[in-house]
Amino acid sequence: MRSKIIGSIGVTILVLLVLIAVFAESLAPYSPYEQVGTTFARPSAEHWLGTNDIGQDIFSELIYGTRNSLAVGLLSATIAMTIAVLVGVMSGWFGGKLDRILMKVTTVFLTIPFLPVVIILAAFSKGSVWSMSIILGVMSWPVVARILRSETIKIKGSNYIHMIQGMGASDFYVIRYHVFRELLPLIFYRGIIRVKSGILAESSMSFLGLGNPAAKSWGSIIYYAQSSNALLTGSWIWWIIPPGLCICLVSMALMMVAYSFEERNDARMEDKL
Amino acid sequence: MKKRIGHYLIILVIVIVANFFIPRLLPGSPIKTLIGEDTGQMTAEEKMGILDSYHLNDPITVQFGYYIKDLFSDDWGLSFSKRQPIKDLLKSAAGWTLLLSSVSMFFSIVIGCCLGAHSARKRKTKSDLNLILGTTFLSSIPPFWVAILLLAVFGAQLRWFPTYGAYSMWSDKQGLAYVLDVSYHLVLPVLALVLTSLLPYFTTTRYSVLKIINEDYIKMAKIRGVPDHTINVRYVMHNAIIPVFTMVMLDVGYLLSGSILIETVFSYPGLGVLMRDAVTARDYPLIQYTFLISSVLTIIALFLADLCYRKLDPSLEGADEK
Repeated sequence: MRSKIIGSIGVTILVLLVLIAVFAESLAPYSPYEQVGTTFARPSAEHWLGTNDIGQDIFSELIYGTRNSLAVGLLSATIAMTIAVLVGVMSGWFGGKLDRILMKVTTVFLTIPFLPVVIILAAFSKGSVWSMSIILGVMSWPVVARILRSETIKIKGSNYIHMIQGMGASDFYVIRYHVFRELLPLIFYRGIIRVKSGILAESSMSFLGLGNPAAKSWGSIIYYAQSSNALLTGSWIWWIIPPGLCICLVSMALMMVAYSFEERNDARMEDKL
Repeated sequence: MKKRIGHYLIILVIVIVANFFIPRLLPGSPIKTLIGEDTGQMTAEEKMGILDSYHLNDPITVQFGYYIKDLFSDDWGLSFSKRQPIKDLLKSAAGWTLLLSSVSMFFSIVIGCCLGAHSARKRKTKSDLNLILGTTFLSSIPPFWVAILLLAVFGAQLRWFPTYGAYSMWSDKQGLAYVLDVSYHLVLPVLALVLTSLLPYFTTTRYSVLKIINEDYIKMAKIRGVPDHTINVRYVMHNAIIPVFTMVMLDVGYLLSGSILIETVFSYPGLGVLMRDAVTARDYPLIQYTFLISSVLTIIALFLADLCYRKLDPSLEGADEK
């Protein structure tokens, strides 16, 4: 019951945020790309969260930022999960030489230092939504691939799979209709966690000033606030806290969904590493 | 063992090769990359001169030769944005980053494990649930944001802690006074890192303690009248620590990453700030060498963790041979 409540709170928050992202144009009071007021204005009736260093409305920036965060989170998670499922299932199911090669590649990716690589790639590729998602996705599949591999091996060893195979089912059929179906809760759970990590990583990148300077993102709002000394002027209260809270809100909502999903499927995920 | 060393050497080679190819594969003219955006006024000859001086007109194999030669030479050139030798910059930065990340790693492991063990022993009580919710909440906060808030409240507003750097500038503190000064500057960055990296240690310890508590040999020990303290330390913790160490191994790589973000908030003079400055100034040679050094450090840390792991869990030694 408890987990059901937590889960539905999470889903509600997420649905709201998706709606905000989709209808950003009509929800935002101003265009976040234009100068609509004096610079460094304090919060007022016209500008709920004041304006930034070039006179853009911070509240509108926040609303538009939802798009970037959700898009990068979802895209990078999709990319990462696709690679992870392909590598994990193939490695676990077919075993042998293919397994050894794929696991070697996985270990290499696991050992490559995450943030430095992401930073250097983002620094050279000027960070659009797509390039950011591809970078984050390609760098974050290995752990999940390992988990899926060991699960696939477990499923492959179970009796009913042997029976189905004995009846003449092809590899593809068994993977498509049985292995994949059994893995689905795990894939979904891990996918949610990846969306959350993707959103956090995107905000970190933009906070380091590596995002697309033209796009609005919660991380880059904080970046510009910091670089114009919001901490010293006291404007951090309306300039830095709200975007940070938004990031917390999304990732908390995702964690809630993941938590209730885990409880309901009674899948103890921790020991599957 | 030889196999493991081989594995890390291969990764090292991959990183070195990637460091050479990434900037060359990505779009953008090298001149713009090297000089900045004001290439408009340059004549074709000047451009050619620059390309020549960086050997960019040679075939790629020759360029690679120069790259490797530079890498193993003593001189990595000057950083044009900092006007200092790249090697000196990296040396001091790496020291600060290692200090920051090792101290915070130590505290997050100790605190995370204690909380996890406590939570497992109090399973299904209120304090267990509170700890689970609390740590989950902490893990969904972006680390750099926590750092900014800490800085704003305890640094800028209350003035309890310094807001800038790793030591007091313009003061000649020696000995103990210097150590105290450095630790004083460490408090806020370490706090931010520890708060946001507790979760993995917490969940792993909690889970593995829970599993062990229900084992038969623990019940047997209780029946035999072994003191609680001995059970907790010698029987439970000793076995529970192995999965935690697996977590540590996975995390070593990410820890350096975390400290890169925290450093930029506190202007802590480590690799993170160096990389951020290099990125803002588009100082590509500096970016590349910083990337190289932080990658090499991560690989060394992973290797050391791997070594310790084998000491801790001897059953792995055999598994490697298969």
